[in-house]
Amino acid sequence: MSGWVLKGLKTGIRTTLYPKVEELAPGVSPGRPAGGRAAGNKKPAAEACPVDAIAVRDKQVSVDYDRCILCGRCLPPAGASGLVKPAADYEWAYKIPRDTVAAGGAGVTKTCSHSLHIKVVDGGACNACLSEVSQLTKPYYDMHRLGFFITPTPRDADLLLVVGPVTEHMKLPLKKAFEAMPEPKAVMAVGTCALSGGIFGPGFAAGGGVKEFLPVDIAVPGCPPPPLAIIHGLLMAVGRKDPVPSPTSPGPGSGMEAAK
Amino acid sequence: MNIPILLELFLLSCAAGILLAMAVPERYAPAVLAWTASISSAVILIAGGIGLFTNQSFHAELWRISSLGTLDISMDRLSALFVFMAGLIFLPVSVFSARYMQRYSGRYSLRSFSVFYHLLFAAVVLLLIAADALSFLLAWEVMSILCYLLINYEHEKQDNTSSGLLTLVMGEAGFLAVVFGFLLLAGPTGGLDFATLRLNAGAIGGATRWVIFLLTFFGFGIKAGIIPVNTWLPKAYKAAPGNVAAILSGVTLNLAVYGIIRVNADILPALTAGPGIVALITGSLSALIGILYATTEDDMQMMLAHSSIENAGIIIAGLGAGMVFAAMHHPVLAGIAFIASLYHMINHSMFKTLLFLGSSGIELKTGGRDMNRLGGLIRFMPWTAAFFLIGALSIAALPPFNGFVSEWLTLQTMLQSASLQSIPVKITFALSGAALALTAGLAVTCFVKAFGMSFLGMGRSESSRRAVELPWSMRSAMLFLALLCIVSGILPTYIIPVLDRTVTPIVHESAVDALVPPFFTGGRGKEKLNKAFAADFHKLGAQVGSDVLPGRGLVVLHQGGKRNPVVFAMSTSYTFVVLLLLLGATMIMLKIVVRRQKVRYQPAWDGGVRKLLPGMTYSATGFSNPVRVIFNTVFHPTVTIETGESPVGHFRTAITMERTEVHITERLALKPVVAMLKAISARIAAMHSGSVNTYAMYVIISLVMLLIGERFF
Repeated sequence: MSGWVLKGLKTGIRTTLYPKVEELAPGVSPGRPAGGRAAGNKKPAAEACPVDAIAVRDKQVSVDYDRCILCGRCLPPAGASGLVKPAADYEWAYKIPRDTVAAGGAGVTKTCSHSLHIKVVDGGACNACLSEVSQLTKPYYDMHRLGFFITPTPRDADLLLVVGPVTEHMKLPLKKAFEAMPEPKAVMAVGTCALSGGIFGPGFAAGGGVKEFLPVDIAVPGCPPPPLAIIHGLLMAVGRKDPVPSPTSPGPGSGMEAAK
Repeated sequence: MNIPILLELFLLSCAAGILLAMAVPERYAPAVLAWTASISSAVILIAGGIGLFTNQSFHAELWRISSLGTLDISMDRLSALFVFMAGLIFLPVSVFSARYMQRYSGRYSLRSFSVFYHLLFAAVVLLLIAADALSFLLAWEVMSILCYLLINYEHEKQDNTSSGLLTLVMGEAGFLAVVFGFLLLAGPTGGLDFATLRLNAGAIGGATRWVIFLLTFFGFGIKAGIIPVNTWLPKAYKAAPGNVAAILSGVTLNLAVYGIIRVNADILPALTAGPGIVALITGSLSALIGILYATTEDDMQMMLAHSSIENAGIIIAGLGAGMVFAAMHHPVLAGIAFIASLYHMINHSMFKTLLFLGSSGIELKTGGRDMNRLGGLIRFMPWTAAFFLIGALSIAALPPFNGFVSEWLTLQTMLQSASLQSIPVKITFALSGAALALTAGLAVTCFVKAFGMSFLGMGRSESSRRAVELPWSMRSAMLFLALLCIVSGILPTYIIPVLDRTVTPIVHESAVDALVPPFFTGGRGKEKLNKAFAADFHKLGAQVGSDVLPGRGLVVLHQGGKRNPVVFAMSTSYTFVVLLLLLGATMIMLKIVVRRQKVRYQPAWDGGVRKLLPGMTYSATGFSNPVRVIFNTVFHPTVTIETGESPVGHFRTAITMERTEVHITERLALKPVVAMLKAISARIAAMHSGSVNTYAMYVIISLVMLLIGERFF
């Protein structure tokens, strides 16, 4: 019984130092296709994409991360080159600027900067995102060191973390949970499904993401997003990381809007 | 007004009640009962009050029976206290019964109920004022039988018959034990009146003392439901009508305490610590086992019954501590212990009667007592809920209600074992104190459940969603008891001196100076209060209220020696005032804080379900399940799970779980005894061959043995 104590002492602290130090350990991110200008024919990559997340215009490749399911079909096969390049970063979260919810999100940034209580709602996810969320409380990522805590009741929650495309049956619980939360409150959508409906929606049983029902403040794309991306999103929600605009919004290195 | 006239008046009004019950039409019987029994209670309250608060006592010889001596009645302070309490409980219960008994109209005889009720009242009072063994035992037997008749009032129910018979059997067993106890006490020559018994008690030898103690302690204890003779109690309380259960718990349980005090502390005080230790252990174990079963019980009346066992245990533990202190020559500590015990007894009478009336009211309006089927009653029965809450807070021993005062005093008494010499005795005190502390903790769980599951949340059955408030006569009965609970909670310093006057003749020294220092008078006169000590407490505010209030003070305090000047101290009176101030201040603060904030009202979080149904909410069984799991060894349930499967197989169609519990005393104490008796009777049965010749031989053998015996001895 006491063996694990000894083992723990021998092992020492293995918890990641992110966000103080950039985490460079292999495997913390699955990587995702990077857009941008590149030489060569990009058409095969766009055609390979099963969810139409890649658009090509004027040799400018743009990836819609809200739709990307990280399937890797657009990535070059071994030995080949010239297609979409992988990017192994993990700071994927971005802030959705919204006038209507600015007050709510800003309130959380102001009051919860070092103590944030999170209510997790599974809006019909495939469990991949939930699995990553559950990694947050484990020793390696240990989000408690940053002052983030998961709470079972929305009455105590400052942030509503939603995964999944929000199925018909989860619409009401989600709305109830949001309404039950005290002000100030913020909503964070985690995963491709929560952002766009992913491979499930929109359809007769699932919606097209959380945005359709609730004002989303922070989006964490990825299918599933790695734990560090979720931590990045949480830090952004409380104002400890600079808010990043959506990578698919018009601007250098992106161009979803332009592509259309 | 003097006591004999009042007693005659009391007996007359009881007789009038019986005659009127016979004379008036059946449907008016409950109303008549309420009037006559209330008048009887009022009369006996005055009589008891005179005995309790003045120096008047009373003794009368009724008539002489040849060879058995005289039948005496007398009322000393001890009797007066119990008589007073009987009146105090019978009064609200009688008022309550007027409307409550209507539910039996047409099904059971209301007339016979009235007759039994008045007879029981008279028997209880006669028992308490009996001054000789014969009339005491007569009254005890009559009381026992009347209890049986009232418990088995709903005689058409099969279960009630067996519970009633069990009550009767155990009551008679206890009675026989007590009779033998008295026979040993009286010895071959002496008279049977208590005064003579007390005089002759000194000559009784050690072994006989033990036998007398065990016989009377457990004999009387049966009525209080102490372990291991408690099996009848929950069943009887379950069978009894609600108002009868209130009387059983509020009055007849006290009679057991009276009997034990009368015989084992007054007539035959123990000379060694042994009997007191037995009482202490029995009491604290009863308390713990009682509250464990109460917490896990879902039938409200059964729950209250188990809780009665618990409270009887606390009372008996206090008595035991007192007996030990008295035997070890610590009269003041003994006095404190007896005061704590009697205080808890009167408190228990008040709050338990209140709770029984509350549960009867709930049963009347919802048709059930199962807490899993109740809920949300506070919306329909706000007054009943408020009174029940007061009762629940009192019994859960939360300050400033009365249960707190007496349980706190009892626990403090346990800690005073430090002044005893013997190590084993100290250890027993410590363990008993720990058991009582655990009991107090579980009692809170138990009554949070009782109140929460019945009055809060959502109604779990159709009938509980259509309940209506009780009529005013029933509410007034509960209001009376609720006020008693509050008053006896916040004014302990006025009740302790009265109890002290009751206890002083038993322990031969007054404990009032040791418990209620005269802070109001500042140690003037003969009181043993150090001036400097008093001044210290005056600085703390112990004299606050001395201008407007009579009496000695509002602080209960036990002084020690130089090293620890204050052994224990508390004041529920000041606590009550402070609580009110804090409550007021909090409300004002809340108003101020909320005034500048936007308040948003949202429905309670229900987990996001489409519609929260009562069946989804926490149930009474679920609430107490942690206790059930932790104390699984005590409950020792037999669980059978049956799974129904469809013919195709692999598809479960139904799962039935059955859980049966046998009460721990029945399992560990009663069943082995019954098994042993059965084995013995099986051996004896071998004698019965059925052949006439054999029986003729038995007759001859016994005749010969008798003749030989006659010749030689």
